[in-house]
Amino acid sequence: MDMLINPTVVELSRLQFALTALYHFLFVPLTLGLTFLLATMESVYVITGKPIYKEMTQFWGKLFAINFALGVATGLTMEFEFGTNWSMYSHFVGDIFGTPLAIEGLMAFFMESTFVGIMFFGWDRISAKAHLVVTYLVALGSNLSALWILIANGFMQDPRGGTFDPNTMRLEFSSFVQLIFNEDAQAKFVHTSIAGFVTGSMFVMGISAFYLLTNKRKDIALRSFRIAAVFGVISTIGVVTLGDALGFIDAKAQPMKVAAMEAIWNTDYNTASAPWNLIAFPDKAAGKNLFEIGVPYVLTPLLTHSEDTVIPGIHQLVDEAKPKVVNGIKAMVALKEYNHDHSNVQALATFKQYQTDMGYGFLAMQYAPDQDLKKVDASNLASVVDKTAHETVPNVWVEFWAFRIMVAFGFIMLAIFAFAAYFSLKNEVEKHPLLLKVALWSIPLPWFACEFGWITAENGRQPWTVYNMLPTFVSASSHSVGYMIFSLIGFVLLYSSFIAAEMYLMFKYARLGPQASHHGHDQAPAGGGMAGQPAFAKPSLAKK
Amino acid sequence: MKNLFTFVGMALIMALSLFLAVITGDYGPWYFAWLVGTTMIVLIAVAGAVMYEKQDAESQGKTGRLH
Repeated sequence: MDMLINPTVVELSRLQFALTALYHFLFVPLTLGLTFLLATMESVYVITGKPIYKEMTQFWGKLFAINFALGVATGLTMEFEFGTNWSMYSHFVGDIFGTPLAIEGLMAFFMESTFVGIMFFGWDRISAKAHLVVTYLVALGSNLSALWILIANGFMQDPRGGTFDPNTMRLEFSSFVQLIFNEDAQAKFVHTSIAGFVTGSMFVMGISAFYLLTNKRKDIALRSFRIAAVFGVISTIGVVTLGDALGFIDAKAQPMKVAAMEAIWNTDYNTASAPWNLIAFPDKAAGKNLFEIGVPYVLTPLLTHSEDTVIPGIHQLVDEAKPKVVNGIKAMVALKEYNHDHSNVQALATFKQYQTDMGYGFLAMQYAPDQDLKKVDASNLASVVDKTAHETVPNVWVEFWAFRIMVAFGFIMLAIFAFAAYFSLKNEVEKHPLLLKVALWSIPLPWFACEFGWITAENGRQPWTVYNMLPTFVSASSHSVGYMIFSLIGFVLLYSSFIAAEMYLMFKYARLGPQASHHGHDQAPAGGGMAGQPAFAKPSLAKK
Repeated sequence: MKNLFTFVGMALIMALSLFLAVITGDYGPWYFAWLVGTTMIVLIAVAGAVMYEKQDAESQGKTGRLH
């Protein structure tokens, strides 16, 4: 830590990671959801023996393949980014963070990738039932990938299962069970996975609506619409339920995130009547909301599922952080002395006394003269403590609005799916062109919700990479500003070309529709599955 | 013999399900919820599709229409 940390490099590293993560997350939800929708369609094929469901599985599978390839490519980049741009972070938590990532690569990702090949090319080579098992394994594999990533992320949000070793300067495993059964990881996995189900459902339903509006392959469109609408309405209810569970868990584990999410500056001890801010314009510098519309009697039951739990405001949490900063400075100074001389028992004892608040000492480095905590003395201690304590507050405006946009899109989608499922189950969806148009134009909604949800989760964790333990400020690599700008421009150019290719292929094959794309490859007769026995339908069921 | 294998296979699935229910039910309630919930979502969506086939067959019977 002798070399000064350049805040510009840290900010550019954050920007680069945020862009690549948000970009990667454009592909992930569709993969998570579409795989299970494909499994659903194929299940109907195996149960009913109707070839049209095989054609549906193959058509939507083609769109899945386009998305899957880019999801894998952009995911790999991010794993390397931990090493290149976040070397201090990787050193500090690599023992814990690296393990779920390795399991994800070895178990889930390999499983997913292997079975994807069989899923695409095995239609005529294995029986229908065996192929269905393969499709389910692809779905399970893609969601298990997400599981291990979110277990790693859960540790960043609520670090459990690791202890800091002052000899190696690393967080090391103390409990694998605590890591994987972390409440944050559990709730976030289910929330994220089912958000993927919603994304897949809206994608299939919206494109099916387009076919119904343009009178194209109505046989496939109506069936796809039905499956997606039913799948989507239940999934959206699940997402809302898990979002509530995640908020409940965060209220205990990350009170500052929740206070920022709800723009609560002052603790309201009238817990039952505490207002929930429907709209607010938070001003971090002023430490208040410039404007707010609150709904009384909603906040406490919503966040804590009780009427008498006090929700601490941002100002109270800042005040509570101040003694932690003082202790953290003592811990870090002792740790540095111990690192120079491992026989210094007194330094080790002092460190262990204040170890719990070590992260706040790390955080104070940016306000210490020359980033050296030894230079913090009686003359500047109060100033360093005050600035550091206020640094623990994330960007409240971003947190508040990202959360609300996510929630609003979630409820809009719930309404759309509810109407869609209702009219589809009554077999009247064609009588409601407005609903079909809304479904079509709502295709981007789940992506916006997912991206804003991710912003809520990660912006709310700031200023930490590992909550209360390792600040973002000390986590980045010591690259030059020029290097960061160069690599950032490279990413923007490369990823822009990727997204252009993805959008082109998606629009092309979605517009072509099942019939056109099917004819291009399988030479089946016109009229689709119901109009005869297409070539691809013969082998697998006939093998039984 | 085939029936025996089916029985053993089903028994293994049941044992695994009970094991998962006990372990994840205690330590990972949300993981368990995901397993049960995802299965339920898929099954209900499949049921929706099967229901569509019945409705389609009935409407074909009434109108001779083909979807």
